Amino acid sequence: MALNTASEVISFARRLEEESAGLYETLARRWPATEDTWLAFARENRKNIIQVERAYYGVISDALEGCFAFSLDADSYTFPAGLLEKTGYTDALGQAVAMEEKIIRFYSEAAAQSKSLMADVPRAFAMIARKREGRVATLKSLPGK
Amino acid sequence: MAVLEEPIKEVLELKNYINGEWVGSESSQALDIVNPVTQKTIARVPMSTGDEVKAAVKAAREAFPDWRRTPPLARVRCLFRLKELMEENFERLSRMQTMEHGKTIDESRGETRRGIEMVEVATGIPSLMTGYSLEDIAAGIDEYVIYQPLGVFCHIAPFNFPFMVPLWFSPFAMATGNTFVVKPSPRDPISQVKIAELIDEAGFPPGVYNVVHGGADAAGILLEHPDIKGATFVGTSQIGRDIYKKCGETGKRAIVQGAAKNFMVVMPDSNVEGTIPALMTSFYGNTGQRCLSGANLVIVGKDDAFYRKFLNAFVEAASKIKVGYGLDESIQMGPMQSPDGKERVLGFIEKGITEGAKLVLDGRKPKINGDYSEKCFIGPTVFENVAPDMTIGREEIFGPVASVMRAESLDAAINLVNASRYGNGNAIFTTSGKSAREFQYRVESGNVGINIGITAPMAFFPFSGMKDSFFGVLHGQGRDAIRFFTESKVVIQRWL
Repeated sequence: MALNTASEVISFARRLEEESAGLYETLARRWPATEDTWLAFARENRKNIIQVERAYYGVISDALEGCFAFSLDADSYTFPAGLLEKTGYTDALGQAVAMEEKIIRFYSEAAAQSKSLMADVPRAFAMIARKREGRVATLKSLPGK
Repeated sequence: MAVLEEPIKEVLELKNYINGEWVGSESSQALDIVNPVTQKTIARVPMSTGDEVKAAVKAAREAFPDWRRTPPLARVRCLFRLKELMEENFERLSRMQTMEHGKTIDESRGETRRGIEMVEVATGIPSLMTGYSLEDIAAGIDEYVIYQPLGVFCHIAPFNFPFMVPLWFSPFAMATGNTFVVKPSPRDPISQVKIAELIDEAGFPPGVYNVVHGGADAAGILLEHPDIKGATFVGTSQIGRDIYKKCGETGKRAIVQGAAKNFMVVMPDSNVEGTIPALMTSFYGNTGQRCLSGANLVIVGKDDAFYRKFLNAFVEAASKIKVGYGLDESIQMGPMQSPDGKERVLGFIEKGITEGAKLVLDGRKPKINGDYSEKCFIGPTVFENVAPDMTIGREEIFGPVASVMRAESLDAAINLVNASRYGNGNAIFTTSGKSAREFQYRVESGNVGINIGITAPMAFFPFSGMKDSFFGVLHGQGRDAIRFFTESKVVIQRWL
């Protein structure tokens, strides 16, 4: 599905953040030993939604120019929303890394496409992408089981 | 993408808001407000009687003495509360604009945000309205200036930004201690009724803000009324000129913003990738129904290859614009606000063809996303080989039509822009600071864009305009608005 308008992209970003938060909450339930990390990620996801929405709703030019700022394919950023019962810890970590990499790609590409047109939204996207790169490093540093 | 929920579920019977009360009109005349996409009637608006218009002015006049004595700090607390209520209702207000006007949800949210920003800036009145003084202009004599409100101001609103445009004026008028009467456009008056509901809830005293519905007759009564100290208007230059004249005859202050024919000048050194989407917004945002829309696209230089490459990219981007219902988040351009507006644009397209311009993208039979009537829809349209003296090169179309021209040099492009009778919002796209400065310096335009296609000033800057795009001295918004809504009283004192 194509994403062209800012409104669509913001809704899609919200969906990615909520679905990835859902995955981290599942990981926290399944592996309580590393629960703090997962729940911190989930909390950060909800802050990301606020950050993105504040940028979009708060800056006039972003909304006015929003209809023509993007040309993204939503399907290339989607990931499995849940965790299968049989998935083990190491595979779950791998799933989280793959998910994060897709989300980083979404935010980075969205920021690049809109940077010459809009103002605060691409800046917010780029900041979230950077934060998530740190998250990938954390995920990769967690010991597998 | 699913269509967002419509906030208007049943036909609204709109009333006037006079002296803090919702008053039904005695008039037998009323208009249906029709959603331009679904063609469903969403409201009925009365064409108020002359007595009702006068009652609104009377209420404003009677509210003025108390309101002007209310300390500015107390006045702006009402505005702070209004801002809060607007934020709480942000999404509902935005969707209503889409329903009554047809613009996309991104555009409606932008309009709502911009309206709120006017309220925010007006809350700074305790600082912005202060006068100045000088001790000892002669030995023992001091002199100072006080800015005082004048009384009742009115606004005659356009249809293209039904929420935002009246807010260019009313928060500044009320914050400075004046009272206000707004006459919304009879084509999309719902937003102004919703603002009045929030003003009522915010606790403004009765009569400080009034809404009276109607058409040209109501506007005429406001402009003739001796108790109205000043009028603000946004609309066509033809009507604007008459209003300015009328205000002069009746001794009223006036801010009159008229039509436009904005040139988007593209230099061969421009960043094409960044320029094309900015131009899409400029030419096709709000379906071209705004006084800051791009109208003439001027591609500069003798390089045929650059001209062809840029034009092809422009046409390709325009041809991909998704047209449909603005409450569908994927839609990039909504319909014209009315069938009349569409007919008018179709007339211009016919003229363009007749006068010899080349139609390279024809929007007369647009592909509409969703099962909606064609009644108000028109697609992005591009004409090539447009001469500045052709009708489509010189007159405001107020629709999604781009007229492409060529200029051999920046100098020629600036001359082309300055030959227009309008001077509202012209822009240059370039990576050269020298070209940008030259354009900014010489162009006869109240608002100038440099790599910005919509030159809309923020609330703390004046919304300027030159030539036939503006009649008046001071502008709406920012410090200009504060000066417009106040009189300078100069005191010279000596204590014996």
